[in-house]
Amino acid sequence: MLGSMRYAVKTLPPNDLVDLLTRARPAEGAPPNILRVLHAIHDVCGSIDPGFIPAIAQSQGVTDADVAGVLSYYPSLNTQPAGRHRIQVCLGESCLANRCDLVVAAIRSQLGIDLDQTTSDGRFMLEPVSCVGNCAVSPSVRIDGELHGRVRPSDIAGFLDRYR
Amino acid sequence: MSRVRLYLSNDTSSCAAGAERLAEAWRQRSEVELIRTSSRGAFFLEPMVERDSPDGRLAWCHVTADDLPKILAGDGGLPISTIPFLSKQTRHTFATFGVTEPLSPEAYQAHGGLAGLRTAQQLSSSAIIREIKTSRLRGRGGAAFPVWKKWDVAATTTADRKYVVANADEGDAGTYCDRMIMEGDPFRLIEGMLICGRAIGAQAGYVYCRQEYPKATACLHDAIRAADAAGWLEFDGRRFSIEVVSGAGSYVCGEETALLESLEGRRGVVRARPPHPAQSGLYGQPTIVSNVLTFATIPNILARGGSWHASMGTEGSRGTAVLQLGGRVKQPGLIEVPFGLTLREVLDQFGQGMADGARLKAVQVGGPLGSLFTDAQLDIPICFDAFAQADAILGHGGIVVFDHETDMLELSRHLMAFVADESCGKCVPCRIGSVRAREILETVQAGQATEADLSLLAELGDTMKLTSLCGLGGRAPYPVLSALERFPVEFRSRLRS
Repeated sequence: MLGSMRYAVKTLPPNDLVDLLTRARPAEGAPPNILRVLHAIHDVCGSIDPGFIPAIAQSQGVTDADVAGVLSYYPSLNTQPAGRHRIQVCLGESCLANRCDLVVAAIRSQLGIDLDQTTSDGRFMLEPVSCVGNCAVSPSVRIDGELHGRVRPSDIAGFLDRYR
Repeated sequence: MSRVRLYLSNDTSSCAAGAERLAEAWRQRSEVELIRTSSRGAFFLEPMVERDSPDGRLAWCHVTADDLPKILAGDGGLPISTIPFLSKQTRHTFATFGVTEPLSPEAYQAHGGLAGLRTAQQLSSSAIIREIKTSRLRGRGGAAFPVWKKWDVAATTTADRKYVVANADEGDAGTYCDRMIMEGDPFRLIEGMLICGRAIGAQAGYVYCRQEYPKATACLHDAIRAADAAGWLEFDGRRFSIEVVSGAGSYVCGEETALLESLEGRRGVVRARPPHPAQSGLYGQPTIVSNVLTFATIPNILARGGSWHASMGTEGSRGTAVLQLGGRVKQPGLIEVPFGLTLREVLDQFGQGMADGARLKAVQVGGPLGSLFTDAQLDIPICFDAFAQADAILGHGGIVVFDHETDMLELSRHLMAFVADESCGKCVPCRIGSVRAREILETVQAGQATEADLSLLAELGDTMKLTSLCGLGGRAPYPVLSALERFPVEFRSRLRS
């Protein structure tokens, strides 16, 4: 549930951004929390438009550079618009040992994109992830909120068909 | 006809292996009462379905939806007590896994939950810490620091506020026991944090949970709400709040000071120590940062006594080791045994050897920063000291087995590229050293390197080990240099002649 929320493609109307930032404003005397605000926006939009940086900075009482620094630091905060469906393929060591390279190759050849790319129709984005804690039934592929274990390259076509 | 009660794990890996498909298929069946439990951790048998019998639980393994008539007829079930992978373990922290419903406060208490907290409520702060000292518990996240020492520093430091932080940024690939605890027995983590909170006099707790664990995050939210409703989140007449905070995909945020920076909403950049977090941590206040498994070990220690815990294991490593077996073994899964078994015994007795058609090439223990072992080196006892002597780490207990097809040069490059990606950038040896080391390995792969490049790699590794600010840079050279030492032909045969 949490996953599907995070991956939905939505835009944030200006008034909603103002509301969100107003709610995220630190209480009197309390410290700012940039990552918390970025999470809140990311949860709604699936990515963060760098154009929001000045407004976020103002709401937290920090500099634009502070916000840009946090935004660029964390791998799971996207600044590019998200695809409709997010495919995460695990490259952790247990998945490597169980030949996730073949799974990646199958996905790449079927979608015609590389890791960290989105298909031209916006249907799928493909991301590497370092361990989803599913090592005992690896290799692992997560599509939106759904995690698949013991994935074989031959499973991929069937998985992708279910997401339009 | 009365309904038959069936037990099915709701753990992430059980569901990924097919448990969720079974739940969907059987949801409408009126003759089935489906109870979603935690997982026993015998993931090679999943999806696994259980039902009660006079001889205890019976299990059906590798179940498909069509197996339901057989299960309802009681046909072919295997008594849990006869599964060697489980019966040979010594389950304490994971004793109720596979048995109980994770989010039921009643089930938690019915199986001994809160006994540790009740004991702690009768003891003074210093008596609690004395009990932890007697237990000789060392942190389970990787650093293996004596837990009581941290608690003692935080308890005796005067401050306006103090914090308890559970490190649930289980980033080491090959590890999943924290995820299992948060999904399968979240009240045990909460109880451990409450005991710590009372011992040091803290007002608030945080669980910093990695974003890659959405189900664990959701379970913790629900468990905290249930614990609050049951009136558990208080001691000494005042409230102890616990909040879950999500990470954002940064591996180094599992390092305690980077974690605190991230918790404060900033870039997850490592802080120089001293001061240690127990003196000056979150917002500059005394803070205990410990791994989820460490907190989950605490309740039993208070309930059964520190000397009970100290009676298990080896001289320097008391209690049980929680190991997570993955990679190319026949039986991957979670193993809890007293410290002291050898790595070979664990692989043979629990892993049951290699997966079909696979031959063992290397074993990595302790995540992406852990050293690599060959078959000839597997007789090392699983304990902190033996691993330290071997320039290795137990880390968080992850064991990944690689087979004969593994390209050790490519694995080394992958591991160094991971560090280069994840380096926080604060210190030069890690930030620049990891990139240069990755480049050298790529030069070897391209057939353009010479013996001098391998010497440079070793020299660079020594610099990183000696001068990095935290364990990420300090440990990064070990897997690569151990691969170079133990599989020299795979590197040297690629050098430019």
